[in-house]
Amino acid sequence: MKDTLVSDGPEVTPSVRPQSDDGGAEAARRRKKLVTLTRPWLLLTPSLIVLVGLLLWPLIQVGKLSLQDYKVKFGGGEGTYIGFDHYKDLLTGDLLWKTVLPNTVFFALACVGLTVVLGTLVALLLNRLGPTWKLICSVSILAAWAMPAVTGTYVWIWLFSPEDGMISQVADSVGLIDAETTNWFTERLPFYGIATINVVHHGFPFVAITVLAGLLTIPKELYEAGEIDGANAWQRFWRITVPSIKPVFLVVTILSTIWDFKVFTQVFLMPGGSGSNPDVYNLGVYSYIEAFAKNDYGTGAAAAVLLTLLLLVITIVYIRTLFRQGEEDL
Amino acid sequence: MSVRRTTLASRVGLPVAVIALLVFTLFPVYWMVSTALDPKALTRGSDLLPSGVTFEHFDFVFDRGNFGQYLLNSAIVGIATIAAAAALSLFAAIAVARFKFKFRTSVLIMVLIVQMVPLEALVIPLFIQMRDFEMLNSLLGLSVVYIALSLPFAIWTLRGFVAAVPKEVEEAAYIDGASWFRMFWSVLLPLVGPGLVATSIFAFITAWNEFVFAYTFMKGSDKYTAAVGIFQFFGENTTSWGPVMASSTLVTLPVMIFFVIVHRRLGSGLAAGAVKG
Repeated sequence: MKDTLVSDGPEVTPSVRPQSDDGGAEAARRRKKLVTLTRPWLLLTPSLIVLVGLLLWPLIQVGKLSLQDYKVKFGGGEGTYIGFDHYKDLLTGDLLWKTVLPNTVFFALACVGLTVVLGTLVALLLNRLGPTWKLICSVSILAAWAMPAVTGTYVWIWLFSPEDGMISQVADSVGLIDAETTNWFTERLPFYGIATINVVHHGFPFVAITVLAGLLTIPKELYEAGEIDGANAWQRFWRITVPSIKPVFLVVTILSTIWDFKVFTQVFLMPGGSGSNPDVYNLGVYSYIEAFAKNDYGTGAAAAVLLTLLLLVITIVYIRTLFRQGEEDL
Repeated sequence: MSVRRTTLASRVGLPVAVIALLVFTLFPVYWMVSTALDPKALTRGSDLLPSGVTFEHFDFVFDRGNFGQYLLNSAIVGIATIAAAAALSLFAAIAVARFKFKFRTSVLIMVLIVQMVPLEALVIPLFIQMRDFEMLNSLLGLSVVYIALSLPFAIWTLRGFVAAVPKEVEEAAYIDGASWFRMFWSVLLPLVGPGLVATSIFAFITAWNEFVFAYTFMKGSDKYTAAVGIFQFFGENTTSWGPVMASSTLVTLPVMIFFVIVHRRLGSGLAAGAVKG
């Protein structure tokens, strides 16, 4: 695969262009070689400047900041190196271990699990529907997907809002809660429950559409053979579907994990999420509030570095998975 | 297609599953639009069926909330992001999909790694940098950040599209005497067009929906993007849901219409980027 997918286009030209004399051919070949060598880098340079300047360099800066005591001065800022103090404070404090990390990790795990399961179920459903209903359902999951995180969050807040929110009123009318006194957003568990519904609603369409694309590649004969052998639907799913599109499942799971560990907007916009309720901090929100609400850029940076390291580990797993699934041309 | 036995479970189960799916996916959208149009929603909550249809909440967000300016800001930033991200990512995708060169794998791994970087890690140093360069409150500064944010995914996706163009088509162009640039314009560009469309949509949506940077960088109230502009109608204790939902509708509907129009290309774009890698 390697040779057919990746080769440098212009190499074929010398053989089809008649050369006038040997010296010219030599010069032409040398020029060709130079072009072949520099062209990929010419094409890459603009992107590399942007990526290095705005993503990689700031990442190095945030590492530097996390080791500094950064003071905002008139017309700029000044950092003095203080070593690993921010990390020491962070890692020895209760807030990280009892609030921030559990919120981040359990929330991400719940979101990933529900997103992948629901996405897969919806993909299986779409695969069984006739063309009309398949179109209707596809458009409806596109609507969920297209809803921006910001507006989606406002709608879920509104649905669960105390007193007059639709879901609060329904829960009140069946006697589950008293809408006048219940505020879903003050306690950790209901707060993150609502955030989970929000993130899953926004995230499962990607899984559904990707898994559906995978399902379409499985030969129908496999299922017919399975049915003849007497396998029921459950067995056919685990013995045929799952092994056939295992790479698809791995990629959507890892991508969802990366995304759900860095959920920010959905938590930040919820009542109490922007700092007034420390019980609902996750790593991203904690970092942001330390930096921008408390002007403690160093602690904020240290928390950001922790989150980045966490995501780096997940990304390495992601990259290895891509390699292992026969990423022929990486 | 194999003949499936229609069991009771599938005859009842399928419609129930379809209805549950439609309610879960569409109810929030319905609720947003219905609150935005409900005359009562300025003073108190909304009912399942709105008590009437009014555009007063939309008038309110435009007249009192300056929302037209925010939509314009979002559109400017979005278009700048599309233009730059599409061009840059196409060049980069051709480089990594068509050429063999030293450090090619390293470049690809860097692209993958920067894709996972959390925005909160970038927002602190970029805020300090932008403040020092006096680029806060500038639509240009914000666009530059969004271009960077949309590039990794764009390169990764387009790379799949470029690799899918058969080598033979390009070779045929060379045999006919075309130069590399001629081949690029007349052969490669038309063939990766759908991928470019998908990438542009993603870049536009990244810029249109982004909250963290816009909220942190843009403090002058005429410089907000639409996603941040909703924030001013939202109070922790006293929220007028009519204007919040009206402005949310204005931010959401363009994206939804976009998605529905291009959903086939969107699917193939994701398949090329995420599934085939």
